[in-house]
Amino acid sequence: MLAEYATTLTFIALGAIFAYSFYAVLIAGQLSLGQAGFASLAAFSAAALAPSAADIGDVPALLTAIVIGMGVGAAASIVLGLPTMHLRGVFLAIATLGFAEAVRVVLLNSEWTGGAQGLGVPRVLTVGMAWTALAVVAYWFWRMGGSRYGRALEAIREDELAARAMGIDVGRHRLAAFITSGAVAGLYGVLFAYYVRLIAPSDFDFAAAVDGLVTAVLGGSTMFAGPILGSGFQTMIPELQRAAGIEAGWIRPFLAGLLLLVVILFLPGGLTSLIPRPVRMPAAEDDAGTGLAGRRHPAAGDTVVALAGLGKEYGGVHAVRGVDLEVRAGEVVGLIGPNGAGKTTLVNMISGLVPPSQGTATVLGTTVGRTPVHRIAAAGVSRTFQHSKLFDRLSALDNVLVGAHLVSRPTFLRRLLWLPSARRDERAAHQQAARCLRRVGLGDVAATRASALSYGDQRRLEIARALASDPSLLILDEPAAGMNHVEATRLSELITSLAADGLTILFIEHNVGMVLRTCTRVVVLNFGEVIASGSPEQIAADPLVIEAYLGAADEDAAADPGAGSIAEGTAVDPTAVGPDAASPDAVLNVRPGAAGTLEPPDTTSRDAT
Amino acid sequence: MRSTTLHTVAAATAAVFVLASCSSEGGSGGSEASGELSGEGTGDSCSIEGEVPLGAVLSLTGAAASYGESQQRGLELAAKELAEKGGITYDLTIEDDQTDPKQGITLFDQFVNDGASLIIGPTLSNAAVQSDPIAQEAGVPVLGISNTAAGITDIGDYIFRNSLTEQAVIPQTIAKATEEFGLEKVVVMYSNDDAFTESGFEAFEAALEDEGVEIADTLTFSKADTDFRALLTEAQGLEPDALVVSGLIEAAIPLVTQARELGIDVPIIGGNGFNNPRLMADAGEAAEGVVVGAAWNSASDNPENQAFLEAYQAEYDAAPDQFAAQAYTGLMLIDEAIRSECAADRESLKTALGELEDVPTVLGEFSIDENRDAVHPAVVQVVQDGKFAVLE
Repeated sequence: MLAEYATTLTFIALGAIFAYSFYAVLIAGQLSLGQAGFASLAAFSAAALAPSAADIGDVPALLTAIVIGMGVGAAASIVLGLPTMHLRGVFLAIATLGFAEAVRVVLLNSEWTGGAQGLGVPRVLTVGMAWTALAVVAYWFWRMGGSRYGRALEAIREDELAARAMGIDVGRHRLAAFITSGAVAGLYGVLFAYYVRLIAPSDFDFAAAVDGLVTAVLGGSTMFAGPILGSGFQTMIPELQRAAGIEAGWIRPFLAGLLLLVVILFLPGGLTSLIPRPVRMPAAEDDAGTGLAGRRHPAAGDTVVALAGLGKEYGGVHAVRGVDLEVRAGEVVGLIGPNGAGKTTLVNMISGLVPPSQGTATVLGTTVGRTPVHRIAAAGVSRTFQHSKLFDRLSALDNVLVGAHLVSRPTFLRRLLWLPSARRDERAAHQQAARCLRRVGLGDVAATRASALSYGDQRRLEIARALASDPSLLILDEPAAGMNHVEATRLSELITSLAADGLTILFIEHNVGMVLRTCTRVVVLNFGEVIASGSPEQIAADPLVIEAYLGAADEDAAADPGAGSIAEGTAVDPTAVGPDAASPDAVLNVRPGAAGTLEPPDTTSRDAT
Repeated sequence: MRSTTLHTVAAATAAVFVLASCSSEGGSGGSEASGELSGEGTGDSCSIEGEVPLGAVLSLTGAAASYGESQQRGLELAAKELAEKGGITYDLTIEDDQTDPKQGITLFDQFVNDGASLIIGPTLSNAAVQSDPIAQEAGVPVLGISNTAAGITDIGDYIFRNSLTEQAVIPQTIAKATEEFGLEKVVVMYSNDDAFTESGFEAFEAALEDEGVEIADTLTFSKADTDFRALLTEAQGLEPDALVVSGLIEAAIPLVTQARELGIDVPIIGGNGFNNPRLMADAGEAAEGVVVGAAWNSASDNPENQAFLEAYQAEYDAAPDQFAAQAYTGLMLIDEAIRSECAADRESLKTALGELEDVPTVLGEFSIDENRDAVHPAVVQVVQDGKFAVLE
């Protein structure tokens, strides 16, 4: 029974292993087509270098060949990976395709490979060996899935910038994924060679690469079982067509193509999207005591952020200029100013996303400028983004788990060995993530995909993710945008409670009422310059601020009564703004020139819930 | 929506198992039938009760599809004629290996398991090296109908072929051409990314050396190339007595046309790949004077060949090429071998194939030598008035 299907089963295993070499990079969001090149280099080197099976026995010969092949595949992927790792999407695909084609041409024109006529290799591989190899590879990717490393790769795939901001060293992770891919492709090349008896460079051409990619995508590139399902499907189609008595010829590839189209149309996530994936939310009582490596936070009053003459130019436009600012531990600093005032540019510089053009910035002892984003994150800076940058296809819990990257320990290698310490560490990370989710009130949507959450919930999820790294400085870029005023009030309570825990917070917000209520200090930016800085009371009374910002915002509020958050803010906190400032007359005193440059603050998103 | 998808997948999965079980039953039935595979009488009077299961693995799609299609036509024509002849019923299953080693190996495995008495093919020599060992290990005879690379029949004593190797055809071509045109210096061109044309080149190289003809330069191209002007200009600069080209028909047509456009009027000598009526059909005038060494003399007036040309033209409304002729001959030889012992089981067929001698065929008087390779006259042709004629 099994013997009759041995060939088909072997090819399913081989196809799945090749598909895993694509899965290894697809899971990190890289589209590479170089795997056929790695596989052929590995296959030819192993076939040429490995001792003959007749001399040392089948299994030792195959194992030696595998070691050679995987080594060659990994080495080739490093050679290709180092110069191409900054390429993205289709550019990476073209570069890697070029590499594979170059390899094919070189092998075709080399003496030792036998050229187009190929190189004979003894058949050593049996169906059992093929499935053993597949099991090892599948096990590797299965254990990777729930590890810190695996989550980091998925985060990079979903949103590279956000992954960096969560402290993930994207370059290293991408290269690691690429090398894994090279080694797995090498394994495939060797196994293929030791099964088909004759390898020629044309066995590893563009069509082969596309075949591997299709198998991986068809199976699903987000779950470890994908390549096996994909390969089973792809290998069975010709078998089924034969069994169904469809005449050999063009009709078969046509039908196979059609079937592929149907599957991709109805299952865009691949065949694995049919498999439900439960997300386990740790119970609330687990909360007490985590094994996570906590950070040492600066003592209250220590300098957290020190900016001196900080400026940023974009082709002659001064987005930010000459900003001197100091934020001390325990402060809640609100950054306000009209749209285009340079607020986001300023926090992007503080969090390391954008290098400053002038001046210096020191954040938690790290000099910002050439320091990569993930290092600044590692120093204790965590942030949210003006436009949510969530890991859309991951569950809410997984989003927050990625946030905990910096404070959790790497677990992949220990998970491969089933060490109990890995389980402990994972549990601690899960508890941390669950606690952060509950803190922002999202405890009951842990299993929901981030993209399926409401806008307000997405904003809160971003805060939970930022909190999970136990930051010393939390930067929030317009966290209340898109929230209704009930949600905004709750957010403001959350910020107050975080501040009460001693967290230093810097946040940009258009909801001035909320800023005045929540902050210990407010900094006002206009045209890239600080025009005022002081306690909420001082700011609310500052005529410059009223002229530049509040006036315009108030005018907008008057024009659209439904969105009058400024009015609400002043009503709730009557001490914040003096009667002069709140009087509608002040609005009419705004200089026409200034008003013309001020855009209404985010009225659209404020209505959206 | 989701549940519909689930149902579809479930139904498809169920279908897989049903179909798989069907095919496995069919398979075991085939091998049990071997008891009925011998009959009464000899030669034309031989009559076998059971159907003789034959498998053919051809490249009907993929890179080698154009040869596979010709072979399919040749086989089907032969099968049709044999069915009319009667006495023996053939159950010929033609399968497509998609020019993919994985499919080729799987198909050989299936034919072996399904009880085929003999496997015809595969189309490409590389595929033969990969798949033939499966049949050899299982004791199933294989008849290659287009494998021309050296060493195919060395795989084992069950592996036969009716296609002459390049080593058999090309030296003859070069010897004849040297004698005819007094060649002293030639330029060799070949596509180096194809196993067939590369081994053809090696044979040309050796033959030219044997004849003492100088190779002024060796130029390589890709089988996907269509523009040869740069290479041809380079060749022209060397002022050769002839161009020797090992390429497939897809390259032959533009290459010959462009050479004549550039004013290269020295003879162009091609190998098996050129032996295709499309050369004259598509290159027209330019094909005149092209010398083609081939295993099949399409202009041969032996009665088998004349009948074949006529039948093929009537059936497909096109002229056959060498692949079709060899495929047709292949099935005819199998019939001959079965009738000689009036037995169609694997062992009898293996023995009978090895004993084929002086069988009149489309390819001429045909024998199998002690290495299980084909022995029949090769031919050196030249294109004259839009037709292949024997170079004399």
